Amino acid sequence: MSEQNRDSAMQGSPEPLPHAGAEVDDPKFADKSYSQGQLVRRRFFRHKGALAGLGVLLFIAVLAFSSIGIGPIPGWWDKDFSTTGTVVNGGKPTMGWFHLGEHPFGQDTTGRDYFAMVMRGTQISLVIAFTVGIVSTMIGTLIGAIAGYFRGWAESLLMRVTDLFIIIPLLVFAAVLGRIAGDSGIFALGLVLAAVTWTGLARLVRGEVLSLREREFVSAAQAIGTGHWRIIMRHILPNTIGVIIVATTFAIASAILLETSLSYLGFGVQPPDISLGSLISDYQTAFTSRPWLFWFPGIFILAIALSVNFIGDGLRDAFDPRQGKDG
Amino acid sequence: MTRYILRRLAISFGVLFVGSFLMYILTINSGDPLEDLRQSTASNRDVLIQGRIDTMGLDLPWYERYWGWLTGVAGCFYGACDLGTDQSGTDVLSMLQQSASATLRLVTIATFAAIIIGIIVGILTAIRQYSGFDYVVTFLTFLFFSLPVFWAAVLLKEYGAIRFNDWIADPQISVLQAVIVGVLLGFILQGIMGGDMKRRLFTAGATAVFTIAALLYFTYVGWWRSPALGPVIVILVSAAFAVGLVALIAGLGKKRVLYSTLTTVGIGSILYFALQPLLAEPNWWLLLGLFVSAVVVGLVVGYFWGGYSRGQAMALSAVTATFMAGMTFVDHLVYAWAGFLELKPRPISTIGASTPNFQGDFWETTLDWGTQLILPSILLTLISVATYSRYTRSSMLETMNQDYVRTARSKGLSERTVITKHAFRNALIPITTIVALDFAALIGGAVITETVFGWKGMGAMFREGLTHVDPNPVMAFFLVTGTAAVIMNLVADLAYASLDPRIRR
Amino acid sequence: MTTTDNTTDQPLEGGAVLSFSDLDVKFNTEFGRVHAVKGISLEVKPGEVLALVGESGSGKSVTSTSALGLLPRNATVNGKINVAGKSVDTMSDRALRKMRGDDVAMVFQEPMTALNPVLTVRTQMVEALELHGKAYGTDADAKAIELLRMVGIPDPERRLFQYPHEFSGGQRQRIVIAMALSCDPTVIIADEPTTALDVTVQAEILDLLRSLKDELNTGILLITHSMGVVADMADRVAVMYKGDLVEQGSVHEVLMQPKHDYTKRLLDAVPRLGSRGETPPVAQTEGAKALEVNDLVVEFHRAGKTPFRAVDGVSLSVSRGEIVGLVGESGSGKSTIARTALGLIPAASGEVAILGEDITQMKRKPLKALRKRVGVVFQDPASSLNPRLPVGDCIAEPMEVHKIGDKKSRRDKVAELLDAVELPRSMANRYPHELSGGQRQRVSIARALSLDPELLVADEPTSALDVSVQASVLKMFTALQEEYNFGCLFVSHDLAVVDLLADRVVVLKDGKVVEQGDRSQVLANPQEEYTKRLLMAAPVPDPDEQRKRREDRHRFLEEVGESEHGLHISPEAPSRKRSVPGPDSGAGMPGGV
Repeated sequence: MSEQNRDSAMQGSPEPLPHAGAEVDDPKFADKSYSQGQLVRRRFFRHKGALAGLGVLLFIAVLAFSSIGIGPIPGWWDKDFSTTGTVVNGGKPTMGWFHLGEHPFGQDTTGRDYFAMVMRGTQISLVIAFTVGIVSTMIGTLIGAIAGYFRGWAESLLMRVTDLFIIIPLLVFAAVLGRIAGDSGIFALGLVLAAVTWTGLARLVRGEVLSLREREFVSAAQAIGTGHWRIIMRHILPNTIGVIIVATTFAIASAILLETSLSYLGFGVQPPDISLGSLISDYQTAFTSRPWLFWFPGIFILAIALSVNFIGDGLRDAFDPRQGKDG
Repeated sequence: MTRYILRRLAISFGVLFVGSFLMYILTINSGDPLEDLRQSTASNRDVLIQGRIDTMGLDLPWYERYWGWLTGVAGCFYGACDLGTDQSGTDVLSMLQQSASATLRLVTIATFAAIIIGIIVGILTAIRQYSGFDYVVTFLTFLFFSLPVFWAAVLLKEYGAIRFNDWIADPQISVLQAVIVGVLLGFILQGIMGGDMKRRLFTAGATAVFTIAALLYFTYVGWWRSPALGPVIVILVSAAFAVGLVALIAGLGKKRVLYSTLTTVGIGSILYFALQPLLAEPNWWLLLGLFVSAVVVGLVVGYFWGGYSRGQAMALSAVTATFMAGMTFVDHLVYAWAGFLELKPRPISTIGASTPNFQGDFWETTLDWGTQLILPSILLTLISVATYSRYTRSSMLETMNQDYVRTARSKGLSERTVITKHAFRNALIPITTIVALDFAALIGGAVITETVFGWKGMGAMFREGLTHVDPNPVMAFFLVTGTAAVIMNLVADLAYASLDPRIRR
Repeated sequence: MTTTDNTTDQPLEGGAVLSFSDLDVKFNTEFGRVHAVKGISLEVKPGEVLALVGESGSGKSVTSTSALGLLPRNATVNGKINVAGKSVDTMSDRALRKMRGDDVAMVFQEPMTALNPVLTVRTQMVEALELHGKAYGTDADAKAIELLRMVGIPDPERRLFQYPHEFSGGQRQRIVIAMALSCDPTVIIADEPTTALDVTVQAEILDLLRSLKDELNTGILLITHSMGVVADMADRVAVMYKGDLVEQGSVHEVLMQPKHDYTKRLLDAVPRLGSRGETPPVAQTEGAKALEVNDLVVEFHRAGKTPFRAVDGVSLSVSRGEIVGLVGESGSGKSTIARTALGLIPAASGEVAILGEDITQMKRKPLKALRKRVGVVFQDPASSLNPRLPVGDCIAEPMEVHKIGDKKSRRDKVAELLDAVELPRSMANRYPHELSGGQRQRVSIARALSLDPELLVADEPTSALDVSVQASVLKMFTALQEEYNFGCLFVSHDLAVVDLLADRVVVLKDGKVVEQGDRSQVLANPQEEYTKRLLMAAPVPDPDEQRKRREDRHRFLEEVGESEHGLHISPEAPSRKRSVPGPDSGAGMPGGV
């Protein structure tokens, strides 16, 4: 580390964070260097919120997919989310501290098992959110990297689309697209939502690439004749991986909210499929009479979004403890 | 600078145009506009279908429909606005006139409230980084980030409106409730104020005792149903504000600035009594005029008191005057509450943007407005506050690490001056860009909020239009919110330029 | 207050204005405790310059920052710190703030960031004056104008109301100094005040600082890594090494007869102008030169403005096996030429021929083939290596790109190159962040040599390194050049480094060549005024010689019609020479206007 960097780091920040190995000249520190991966893991596992988030998210995912099964594979819960039945005891939840009972989350007005319905909604919301997160990350990374590295048309496109989203609210655009794709199944919906949510990540990646391409190792690679794609794939993108992972996490969290909001408005998941958003939309008026119909799906949305956000926060701290911006 | 702004405006309108095209095409292709009629069993089904085809121009090719809409909009530039009709033949422009003001009011209030609260919270958490207060706020912001608006809205309706309305019918606060509130408030405040253990205990204790006493006293005298502030409280609070403002911005050492703001409060107190008759039944223009004259009074007082720190004295006196005018306004509103409760026994509304057939004087009508607006505003504000406070926090932390902050400290400036004068102004610069981006998100949020609260606003227009594959209402929504976003962008650009001398030309 | 066992070469009245005794500073970091300062004692007397010298990580900046009580929260400070007779370590926050600026002022390293960009110079100067009760309102404005005039800002009445970005780097440092002076501090701490500046600007700022102690009797604690600056400024010198004070004494003692090994090593490592003596000019070989630049023009396009011409009609050449030093100050276009020669920046006109082939018009394929024969070393060790690749992969990268050899032969070559740059072979598996700056630059050099280049472009390869590290890297570089015999374009701002290395020298100014020729001719007997100016401004680490050089320089500047750069005190102003606080008065606080 250069003289300037070291000294300003010492005085400037309230908490100087020497990079690993900054002290290698000092024999005392020579054996105390960590690899990048080790550092990230170390910091992540120290972030209690992120660990809790990870635990909750895993629990919800396992619960949702193992209970009612995936497609043809049956789960351990014997009831189905679409079979109606007789309403027992006003449809009240039978769940207690240590037992589930017949209808742990109660029943809806037509006697369907609400636990199975919420699990189905959770499954769909999770699948859509992760589809959106992953697809929009791929689009965003690609366009962001091209825009940052080559500038030119990709950058203009990115900037104009960003301008577009300053003027058209994301939700509105997504609603129109969701209205078109909603009938074609949840993956179509996920893809459509990804098509409108990639811009944030693309701008982030572009910013990173813009600063990376001024770094001397990129100039050095160019000077020895390295091809553009090799530079992007080998020298630039691996250095943006932290930003990308963090942004993906936050993208997943906001995708959950976007999808449930659309389904609530009626432009997302279409019946007979169930989303946590459409459950709330269907039963919001039941708040005073059958509050469980309203509480459970809401709490599941909140729990998923919150735990994903905390994971994102932990990852951000882990990858770059100095960066505190919102992804 | 002017060129830069004009360029940005031109780009914005270009994007608005492209956006309109995109929205139009997508909307008319989003479904079958005749779906409900096709399933209908009415005997005159075919006539109905033909009628709708004629009204909506479904037999025309898409580009002709779009062109028709576009030329109608172009008419707005020479006073012949034509935004078309919806599928049942109602004129969209007249629908818009009813719905636009409610939505824009909601979004504007939420934006400004979120900016102010978010920035203050952001600064406080940055200053108290890694404190208990910081952790709690961080958790809350994550909670708000993760909160489904439509779900939270239902909760807010239940607890903010229905339960409150039940309570206000016979407002009672038990000692236990008062103690809980007092202790909680004391705990929060000591977290914000910080300091050593002794100071924290004192802060918490004083706050708790004061709160408990106030709550019980208010309950005892029936203040909740017929509240009043009165001149003493208005003047005391204004004077305290003046002193606090000077202490925060200029430092109490600057006597002339302090005297200037206190003189302003003095003049304000005289005007408070002098203007009572005028304020009994005012109108918005009168209030606006009084606000402006208050600012002028502040500026004049600052000018004569100011001396060597004239600029600061003028600015702070003007702010004090504005605050005092606001306090007077609130004083009148609070006074009208008792009468308002007579007219509307369940004050907080859960449905609609205004109470139908409400009759009352100026203050009561304003209160009715406010009670309709309060819940959706809170909801929208909360979510944006999360964004702004997080962003302000990280921006503040970043500027606090800059060399010039170290320089400022090495001059011997107090932490207060370093933060308000050196760090804060620089931290504001990146925040302006967020305002523009967040505005669109707020409008999106408004669509949901209006749905939950049953407002006949822009959001409802959009939603119904889209459900019926009816482009004209959707496009009207787009036009208004898009233009509002462009204006908001312009404001953000201007704020950016005024904050950063490096791009000012 | 205890006085350490040093002797001084000038009689001093009164006690120290700044003293540290047994100062000990530790930082708690993520990676454990860092012991930054290990119990040192120092003192600065009025009108004296104490230079605190050391390399990065020696703890010198931490020491100085502790005097203002400005260390970060994770620091633990032990020992006594005294400023103007007041004990800093027992002070309340309020007293500490009163002391800052009033008794002790600080000048920081980086003038570009030390001033708040959104506030006018007036606001920033006046706030200190008003805070410490020196002057208010229009009086404060007048005082600020006087201060700006004193430090040599032209037209201060107008410029007072400008923003920092409207000033050059040197002017900003003057403003920072004016701010530091504004409350007549008893002691000024200057933390690397000239490191970020060009050598001619550095000389001016040092003149200014020197006149402070002469005219105002201010004590100065000067923190620096440059022995030349020490020789130019200091009365006494203290040398720090890894948190310890290894040597302390008068400037003559320390620089001329160093006692401690570290000081000796440090001084030996300093490149000295003229130390290499005469060398025979390199025979210009026949045939295609390694690099030939003809009438090169490079322009940068800026939105809405006329393009900026960074390089304007430059012609130069590098023969095979020859090192050509390209020198100039910041903004002279030297790095732009290097990057254009590498094909990283397009030329607006003119030609750049590498090994006889013009690259400005070349297609991609042949250009890639040509690039195989060119190596490059950049300046910043922090960013010159891809942090995600192990060192071995970094070095093998050029071979992979050009598909030379198989995995095994590449690995062998990497090992061979690591030997050549004197690094252990095991380092191939480590990541760049585990290496020190010097090690990273060695890896960069190894990477540049991996294809046995015929031309090497080195853009300030050692300027970010500590002087002792620089010396060993330069030595290795020379040895490698002899072994591999590549032609080299060596860009540097440091004349002494170029003198040590180059066969020929090209001097640049504002994108134009001022002078070029054989090293001994250009550097020992410069013909152009600008070259002379550059040479005279470069300080040498010998106090007597440096004094002579300084006087020569002042004489020269007078000849060319430039005034001195010290304090400009108007004759009618009352003498600002302060009375010296007596030993008993503790802090006599005189001189406040």
